[in-house]
Amino acid sequence: MATKNSRTFDFKDVESLEVFMTSHGKIHPAKRTGLRAREQRRLKRAIKYARFLSLIPFVS
Amino acid sequence: MTENTHIYQAMFLLDNEEVRKGFNASRDWVKTTLEKYGIEVKVLRLWGERQLAYPIGRRKRATYLLGWLQASGDSINEVKRELYLLGPVFRCLFLLEDEIPADELATGIQVIADSEIIIPEDMEEPDFEEPYTEPEEEQRATDDKPDAEEDEEGKEGKAGGKAGGKAGGKAKPVVSVAKTKVPKAAAADSSTADEVNTDGN
Repeated sequence: MATKNSRTFDFKDVESLEVFMTSHGKIHPAKRTGLRAREQRRLKRAIKYARFLSLIPFVS
Repeated sequence: MTENTHIYQAMFLLDNEEVRKGFNASRDWVKTTLEKYGIEVKVLRLWGERQLAYPIGRRKRATYLLGWLQASGDSINEVKRELYLLGPVFRCLFLLEDEIPADELATGIQVIADSEIIIPEDMEEPDFEEPYTEPEEEQRATDDKPDAEEDEEGKEGKAGGKAGGKAGGKAKPVVSVAKTKVPKAAAADSSTADEVNTDGN
């Protein structure tokens, strides 16, 4: 369950996910995204779901 | 079914060729398949038709179907097997969720007229480029040799300087290039290689 201030990510929202990715399709590290560990894990999962559904590429 | 049930969000990728025959038929097939395994379908709606980020099989575009389900974990595993074996679904994802959003719940089972869904054709691209031919080499072969020897001359010319030395009199230009140590760029062009050799002698 997401707390009040924590951020959630939806795998269907491709545009917001691409903000946290490089042009080659890699996920930015937490140091760069500025997310907390739990949020970074949520981001990672959402991106991997989107990749599986071919919404975003694995590599480009 | 006495097992504990959970709320799942599901996304199905439908083959466009099947959807062209009728979206509602494809959606009904998914719904009946889910219900056959005791899954209660709360919401099933068209999420979109879009280009795939990478081709899956020969497909470059697909229709996305979004669903919200109430099901047990075992039934999800069983229905996945059938979805992949039969019907228009070629990829699906089930995610465990806490609750169904109110706006999604209002949608229910979406019915769309088949005429409202316009699915563009996949753009066919050529798989292979045309092979590169060296025009000057062909010209030289036609000028110097009769038709029967043209093919052999072309093959030996392509083999490069290493094989050319043992080939005999037919590969003269290649041998002369090796002696004079012409750079590779110049050696590729056989006509210019001859000119360099004659200048040197």
